[in-house]
Amino acid sequence: MHLTHELELFPGYKVTQMLFKEVKNAAELRQCAVEGKINGALINPTMLVNPFQVLVAANKAVNSQNNGKMKTRSLYSEIIFNLSPTNNISEAFKRFGCSDGDDSVLVVLIHNEDESQLLADLTARVSGRQVPVEEVSSLTDHAKVKKLYKVTQEEEKSGTLLDAVVCRMAAKDVM
Amino acid sequence: MAKEKSMAAIPEFLSKAELLKQGAEARVYRARFLGRPTIVKERFRKQYRHPLLDEKLTHRRTVQEVRSVLRCRRAGISVPVVYFVDYTSHSIFLEEIVGSSTVRDHIASSPPSARCEGLEPLAERVGQVLARMHDEDVIHGDLTTSNMLLRCGPEDGVSELFLIDFGLSYISALPEDKGVDLYVLEKAFLSTHPHTEALFQRLLKSYAAASKKSSAVIKKLEEVRLRGRKRSMVG
Repeated sequence: MHLTHELELFPGYKVTQMLFKEVKNAAELRQCAVEGKINGALINPTMLVNPFQVLVAANKAVNSQNNGKMKTRSLYSEIIFNLSPTNNISEAFKRFGCSDGDDSVLVVLIHNEDESQLLADLTARVSGRQVPVEEVSSLTDHAKVKKLYKVTQEEEKSGTLLDAVVCRMAAKDVM
Repeated sequence: MAKEKSMAAIPEFLSKAELLKQGAEARVYRARFLGRPTIVKERFRKQYRHPLLDEKLTHRRTVQEVRSVLRCRRAGISVPVVYFVDYTSHSIFLEEIVGSSTVRDHIASSPPSARCEGLEPLAERVGQVLARMHDEDVIHGDLTTSNMLLRCGPEDGVSELFLIDFGLSYISALPEDKGVDLYVLEKAFLSTHPHTEALFQRLLKSYAAASKKSSAVIKKLEEVRLRGRKRSMVG
């Protein structure tokens, strides 16, 4: 169901993603996140193409934290910021963070021990149905993603949407 | 985690990765990153340079490389996907194009007798891709047949042509720079693959047909051939 990946660059840092559909309490979750009560990033899955995209953002966030060069105030807000193709932090939150009316949410956790307790705690907070993370591609709003990341027609012909998105996320600091 | 230990995350990771090659500029490794086969290009410190200059130069080259790759990608040119860039260690993590071989090996392995005819379609494609790249004002800077990869497509499918190693690349609209880019390829091509003049001519023809700004570029190429590059004939 959930997907856990240990970052190769930062052994001991595990990134777990959980996807929920039919979420009824998005507003409450968002409030908890803002108050720092949830130890995770709440992402709007319609802006995601693939779980790999989240891994790229998480890896970059951990690296920035490691170098003392985060642009936002916490590791979790940094993940959300990294997903965005622009450097505007509030815009990143608006577009990629979960909003009050959302009916699906992808939760990202970064942890280093056995996660079963953490996952159970989080699952309990979400009033929704947990589904395999791979299903996130069925939730993707392709048109919105293409528009936001400014994916060109030629690009779509020669590569996948995921390629285009990941490249922009990686090159954001210098474009 | 102690600060010193965590600061060395990437060097630590690379020390366990497979070193593919070491050039004057950078070391290239192969590793698994975020679950995918990845190539890591690390521009290491040059002790012989003044540290401040070294930092600026290395940073600039890293940035140029990333920008060029993204620019090519936006134009629909097949280039590896950039997964992650770390500006502290000047490392670029890119997609490894698995199941590919260099155009160099491809040409070298084809029988000399049939060489020119069989490889014509390839030469045409290379010309087209380079035209596309130059029309985007991307100068590769190190065009050789070793920096072009062919990945076999499905059974009867067409293979995909990739450009790699944008380490010396930059953005320029000048026909002179594009002409020199082609000149570098011509020299490399003809010296690596003897008796392929006709093939290279095919490539140039294809380039000229595909590029909107080709006539000025070809003209410059001819000029550079006569005088050699980096000779401003002044003085």
